[in-house]
Amino acid sequence: MKPFTYLSPKTVEEAIAFHGQHSETAKYIGGGTDVIVKVKEGWMEPDFLISLKKIKEMSELHKNEATGELSIGAMVTHATLEKSLMIQNEYPIVYDAVSNIGSLQVRNVGTIGGNLINAVPSADGAIPLIALDGVAQLHGADGERSSDVKDLFLAPYKTILKPGEILKKITIPPQAPRTGSAYTKFGRRAAMELPLIGIGVLLTVDEDLETCTRARIVLGVAAPTPMRAVDAEKYLIGKKINENVLIEAGKIAADESKVRDSVRGKAWHRKEMIRVHVKRMGLNCLKKIQKIN
Amino acid sequence: MSNFNVVGKRIPKLDAAQKAMGRAAYIQDIKLPQMLYGKILYSKYANANIVKIDTSKAKALAGVHAVLTGEDVPEKMKMGFIKDNPPIKKGRVSCFRDEVAAVAAISPEIAKKALDLIEIEYEELEGIFDPEKAMEKDSPLVHEHLKSNVLKMPWDVHYGDVEKAEKESAFVVEDRFTTTWVTHCCMGTSGAVALFDASENLTIYTNTQIPSLAQKDFLESLKAMGLKNKRVRVIKPIIGGGFGSKLDTYAYEHVAILLAYACRKPVKMVFDRVEEFKATSTRQPTVTYIKQGCDKNGKLTFRDMRMVLDNGGHTSWGATTPSVMLMPISSLYSVKNVKYSAKCVYTNNTYSQAMRGYGNPQATFAIESSMDMLAEKAGIDRIKFRKINQNHAGEETPQGLKITSCGLAECIDAVEKELHFNDNNEKGVGTGLASLIHVGGGARIYGSDGCGAILKMDDYGKVDIFTGGTDMGQGLDNITAQIVAEELGLSAEDINVVHSDTDICPWDVGAHASRSTFVAGNAALGAAKKVKKKIQDFASKLFETPAEEIELKDKMVFVTGNPEKNMPIGKLLRKAHFSPGGTMLMAEHFYDPDNQNMGKELKGNMSMTYSFGAHGAKVKVDEETGKVEVLEYVAAHDVGRAINPLLLEGQVYGGVVMGLGYALTEEVTVKNGEIMNANFRDYKLFTAKDAVKIKAPVIETDDKDGPFGAKGIGEPGCVPTAPAIANAIYNAVGVRIKDLPITPEKVLAALKEKTVKK
Repeated sequence: MKPFTYLSPKTVEEAIAFHGQHSETAKYIGGGTDVIVKVKEGWMEPDFLISLKKIKEMSELHKNEATGELSIGAMVTHATLEKSLMIQNEYPIVYDAVSNIGSLQVRNVGTIGGNLINAVPSADGAIPLIALDGVAQLHGADGERSSDVKDLFLAPYKTILKPGEILKKITIPPQAPRTGSAYTKFGRRAAMELPLIGIGVLLTVDEDLETCTRARIVLGVAAPTPMRAVDAEKYLIGKKINENVLIEAGKIAADESKVRDSVRGKAWHRKEMIRVHVKRMGLNCLKKIQKIN
Repeated sequence: MSNFNVVGKRIPKLDAAQKAMGRAAYIQDIKLPQMLYGKILYSKYANANIVKIDTSKAKALAGVHAVLTGEDVPEKMKMGFIKDNPPIKKGRVSCFRDEVAAVAAISPEIAKKALDLIEIEYEELEGIFDPEKAMEKDSPLVHEHLKSNVLKMPWDVHYGDVEKAEKESAFVVEDRFTTTWVTHCCMGTSGAVALFDASENLTIYTNTQIPSLAQKDFLESLKAMGLKNKRVRVIKPIIGGGFGSKLDTYAYEHVAILLAYACRKPVKMVFDRVEEFKATSTRQPTVTYIKQGCDKNGKLTFRDMRMVLDNGGHTSWGATTPSVMLMPISSLYSVKNVKYSAKCVYTNNTYSQAMRGYGNPQATFAIESSMDMLAEKAGIDRIKFRKINQNHAGEETPQGLKITSCGLAECIDAVEKELHFNDNNEKGVGTGLASLIHVGGGARIYGSDGCGAILKMDDYGKVDIFTGGTDMGQGLDNITAQIVAEELGLSAEDINVVHSDTDICPWDVGAHASRSTFVAGNAALGAAKKVKKKIQDFASKLFETPAEEIELKDKMVFVTGNPEKNMPIGKLLRKAHFSPGGTMLMAEHFYDPDNQNMGKELKGNMSMTYSFGAHGAKVKVDEETGKVEVLEYVAAHDVGRAINPLLLEGQVYGGVVMGLGYALTEEVTVKNGEIMNANFRDYKLFTAKDAVKIKAPVIETDDKDGPFGAKGIGEPGCVPTAPAIANAIYNAVGVRIKDLPITPEKVLAALKEKTVKK
């Protein structure tokens, strides 16, 4: 492993300034569960690692009860989200995703922002945030800007972030009443597992508790970047949600996915898993809605 | 059982505290003055000629002390059991893990940089990766001078008359099963530190399960280097797992020796995890064709098995696994007519080694899957079918195995009692059973199957015992201490077990074949008995009582029936030591079991006794995804006697989890000879979260030759796991998966095929 200098700024501005000074030779580090592996393997050889850990605002998890907006600091760990009752109750899809990332040890240090920025097709954290119409707040030398989480990813390991730019937080707009959401990943073992396929579903229904008014079907590992199965979503709008409708939505989602064969898993099986789990997660959403309302 | 004071007690591992506190010194922790760091460069191709190697840039790098290529390796320095594999290759590489150069430098980073500076020109050749294709006439040859890809091995045997028995059978089943590469995944990676003293004697710290045989290998390497009449001292640090992976000496050890000699400095060679996956040996993969038959009453009539083994680029001990596969093939359940042949075929894949069970899991997967199929065809309940054919004490099997104690029936009963085989009405839920036989009293595969022990007592009633046996985490330290303590009336904490150094410890053939408790245990017991006799003789004079009436218990010596005549053992030892003409109480014992080498006819009683077991699994199959969930698992074993039930359960749990990985998730993915998943992210070792609750009933049959009746139980836990799972899946959803691992893809594909057929 190439030796590096570890910097720990206390503000976003200070971090960006550090990066400005060292530019190409510097990398940001969050929990380090991806960055340290890359440094150890020699895929990344920074002279400076700029830790974002000491930046207080980036570790804040907060819901504005007046507006209903949720704000998740990029440095919020998976474990913090997992243990939050508010997340468990109001954003179950987030809980489903983060509570099965890596292992307890990984979740204790790994951060939601890092999970997004690492930009692997299998990032569990990205799926729920896309389903919830999350918006990423970015901060760089040129100031602040924002992007829908779904538009963050360009390719595996590649995001829209410019050199030196920091993902500060993710905001989630207020959720409509009668919304249910769920995520599952399909893999071969129960921990330390990258999904062979990740499936997130979010449904909002009308007052009849059946008719779908809004749908999000988001897939991980189904394409080079996390993707929304928009045809399947469209199909669901206006339909009374039941098992048969969800089976059809699963088929559509599987068809629009861009799964492929790899040493980890075969495309046909991944498609099957999309079909099965869109249905299962959809039913799961419905159950959650009907339980509350 | 109640007669024992230390044997049978759940005493935690004696080294648990130092391991838990991070104080145990593994090979990674060894650091010597002036030590250099060695690294190996591996081939870029599965099959290629080396046209040119230029090491000048690497040699010129500051901090580099030596760069070696195949040209620097003495002609006679070879590894593997047929000694055909030099530690660094010259001219030709036959698999990706072939070593092509090595460096020693003042830091691991510089050593790695130096590897990058070595320029090699290869001429890539067409590779061959399928052993069955490699057997075809026009196949390219992996080693041209051998004229064939098929290894000359004696695995072809016929006991009784299989053809006749087949004709007379009422029911016959036939099928093909395959197993793939899996690897040991020791938490402690491989490594060695080699150094020469001024007289050119070698000391090597190394992770090994065979200190005495390793010493011999290293002596041969020294001889090849022109260093005759030298000494080799093998020191074992604490070993982070063996599972058979350390039953040979490897290139990195011989390369460390070459580099240490070239530099005249200590050289340390430690694998990182990727290297551990890519450059160490796997379990032997198999293609198995099996045919079995029974009469109308369900009595087995014959078993006919044929295997093709992927030998990889070089011959290692994987090619000898048929010697152990033969055991279940000939002797799991009573069957008179048995035929077995195995062909080991060179390919440009990786090569295999010993791994827990040594071929037994592969063979048992085919046998026990086929047993279920035959039971179904004969219309007999699968448990009853096995009982009809169960082994018995007193039986001599076609291979000549003499079964002296056998608790197989009791094991099956125990599993049946715990698992409730037939009350699973829930959809997708099913149960499966599979049994095992394994060597439990040593295994004679070498000139000697022996182990020595030297025992000395100090002036305070404490014992130091120097054993040839090896503790690589399995707990031989405890077993030795408990056996000695039991015999001498002491507690386990009074016994210090030393097994780390060939300068001190006597010879042992190695920690393999589940033999340590039985063989090293008997060696320790023999030494303890001799010392006990000396204590009794001394006390006899002191108390003026016949020696037979002297008892040792609770650290005291006393006269039977007259307990007021007593003395603490420590005091007695001091009396013996400090009296005129004083003596220290010491003894040695070498135990070599009365078992037999298999001759050319592949017949002989290879072990003094055999361990048995039965595993039962309850699984739930998700019929939409193909995913298998293990709901319950029962693993019952006939262990002769549990010296330490806590450690025994640990062995069984560990074995079962390893077996479940073998059954369901683990697989070294090899694509055109290249390992594609050399990390724990993609190599699906079971995690703690995947582990299932395991019940481990213990059957004690008090073996007449075992120390306090014990038989070996190191390996059996992972032997019948895969077929138990495969049988449970069949019972659950009616599909039989014949290729390991049983992935969701395979199950779902089979389910879909079944639906189409309907």
